[in-house]
Amino acid sequence: MTFRATPRNVIVVAGVMSLLLALTVLVSLTLGAVHLPLSQVWAALASPGTNSEATVIVREIRLPRILLAILVGAALSVAGTGLQALLRNPLADPYVLGISSGAAVGAIFAFWIGGRIAAASPLAAFIGAMITMVWVYLLGRHGGRLASYTLILAGVITASFLSAVILFMLTLLSTRDVRGIAFWLMGDLSVTPVAELRILAPAIILAIAGLYVFAKDLNVLLLGAEEAAHLGVNVVRVELGVYILASLLTGIAVSASGAIGYLGLLVPHLGRMLVGNDHRMLLPTAALGGAILLVLSDTLARTAVAPAELQVGAVTAVAGAPVFIYLLRKTGG
Amino acid sequence: MGARYHERGTVFGRHQPRPRQVCAGLVFFMVTYETHSAQAPSPPFGVNFPSGATVLLCVLAATLSILMPPAAAARTVKDQTGRSVNVPDNPHRLVSLAPNITEIVYALGLGDELVGDTDYCDFPPQAKSKPHVGTMVNPSLERIVALKPDLALGTPEANRRETADLLERLGIPLYGVTANTLAGTLASIEDLGKILGRAAEASSLVAQMQARIDRVENRIEGQPKPRVLFVVWYRPLITVGPSTFIADVIRAAGGIPIGENLKGEWPRLTLEELLPQNPDVILLPKTESFSPSTEEFQTLPGWKDLRAVKERRMFFVSETIERPGPRLVDALEELAGVLHPTLALKTGERQ
Repeated sequence: MTFRATPRNVIVVAGVMSLLLALTVLVSLTLGAVHLPLSQVWAALASPGTNSEATVIVREIRLPRILLAILVGAALSVAGTGLQALLRNPLADPYVLGISSGAAVGAIFAFWIGGRIAAASPLAAFIGAMITMVWVYLLGRHGGRLASYTLILAGVITASFLSAVILFMLTLLSTRDVRGIAFWLMGDLSVTPVAELRILAPAIILAIAGLYVFAKDLNVLLLGAEEAAHLGVNVVRVELGVYILASLLTGIAVSASGAIGYLGLLVPHLGRMLVGNDHRMLLPTAALGGAILLVLSDTLARTAVAPAELQVGAVTAVAGAPVFIYLLRKTGG
Repeated sequence: MGARYHERGTVFGRHQPRPRQVCAGLVFFMVTYETHSAQAPSPPFGVNFPSGATVLLCVLAATLSILMPPAAAARTVKDQTGRSVNVPDNPHRLVSLAPNITEIVYALGLGDELVGDTDYCDFPPQAKSKPHVGTMVNPSLERIVALKPDLALGTPEANRRETADLLERLGIPLYGVTANTLAGTLASIEDLGKILGRAAEASSLVAQMQARIDRVENRIEGQPKPRVLFVVWYRPLITVGPSTFIADVIRAAGGIPIGENLKGEWPRLTLEELLPQNPDVILLPKTESFSPSTEEFQTLPGWKDLRAVKERRMFFVSETIERPGPRLVDALEELAGVLHPTLALKTGERQ
């Protein structure tokens, strides 16, 4: 199925997906370890003043988690879409450049040096992600511009080196910290305070909007860098822009919620099946689709073994791998 | 021990019903009650307040709510992990986030006040039928909120720092206790007794436990001290570090835990290091499907030359040894009996 990416079509597709997202959010709000009838959920949303248990559960536990899932899902999916186009490689995902490993090293380092302040971890994770981004960029540059294969190799080797560093640091941490870190490494949406959402939301939305500016250029870039240059695209600028924005999105998402796997790999593929290869259409589809999928995954994580909770990263990985294999077999790679 | 979830100050949540709010609620209730009963036919037992009395009560309640300082129903204390916690004076809706705490709560006679515990709280048996809030590391916050606890009880040994932070944000005070020694376990029981308004019960429970500990100590005095290997994990071999309370219980039971010179809580040990230390007794936790049987150990290279394996002094100890609660003295007596088989220690004042 392919739509021509006219402004009207983009708005229609984005509108339909937004409706689906709203529906998913509503369903997710009514599901949880505690059964709340729809009327109570509605009342809790409509009247913020009251302090009933239902209000606390809906407004302070479920809603922030759902909002974070939307933001992180959109960020990872858009980052994945951008990187798959930039690297011209369908196996690229937000973690292929080692950014999540850099964030993890930062977070564990914060634990390690005794920074037990709750806010230190996300900040340290973000700094780790940004250092890795610059490092991989310097490694992956070839003759003044980003070379796709060099960049992938630089990312993969950096990720693998940083994983070794993570394992090394984990052996030196106390059992308690290892447990906390293990959960964070798996991906966890439950710990972000509402105040952090106020920083995350504009940052992620701005970065996604920034990437959308390059949508048309990404279409041309898919033909190859040489061809794109001939067609008048400023390849160096586009590549650098997409690289920085995708890395930023990944860094922000990972700092907030750990490394949630498969979403950034899978959603671009699903998006292409749905709306085709035009990034003007694909990017919003991926953003909204990723948001829907992560909200669904987290709902499953919250409810599957209630009252215990699964880690959302474990859910996306367990569900994501089979879906990816299915797509691979169906489309023939 | 740095047993802390974190070092931030407590931000008190806004869902803590303060006395003022409670009194205001009472006034509101009485006003609405009267309005309703004025329209409805009089109840048969005449619970209808005369209007004047209601007004009087309202004034009284309002005055009380002004006079009563907000701190009257709650106080801020430092818990054993160093956090400041706003603990209500008479908590009566408790949620326990660890099996050992559930046992302590029951032992203090507060089983009825426990409104929720974890999936792993299995003792006493009644604890199993309480509403569960999930696992220790990943409990469901919304379940906890729905149980309307006025106090949650946890321990950094079992719970995550994130859980403490999140509960704090939701206005549910979490009081943390920590125990890394036998003495620490007694102290945490005493401490919980004070917090939960059962200081006398806690003191007498602790006195009983102390008496049993002293008795073990007296009996093992002058006895040879066997070298004990506690196998936490078998491949790779992981044992207990000197700072863990399993090591402390082994010492109290008259043994010398192997690994005294090792660092960390759960240090790895190679067979090379183990052989010269040659344990007299090997202890294995009573969990299925994790380690070979005694017979299998006798065929394993390295292991089969250890004195404990040759003399078949390998024992499976019950999981109470890992639970710093009231039954820890049971585990101590059991272990002392295992380490000193001639003393017939296991019989006696078991409850």
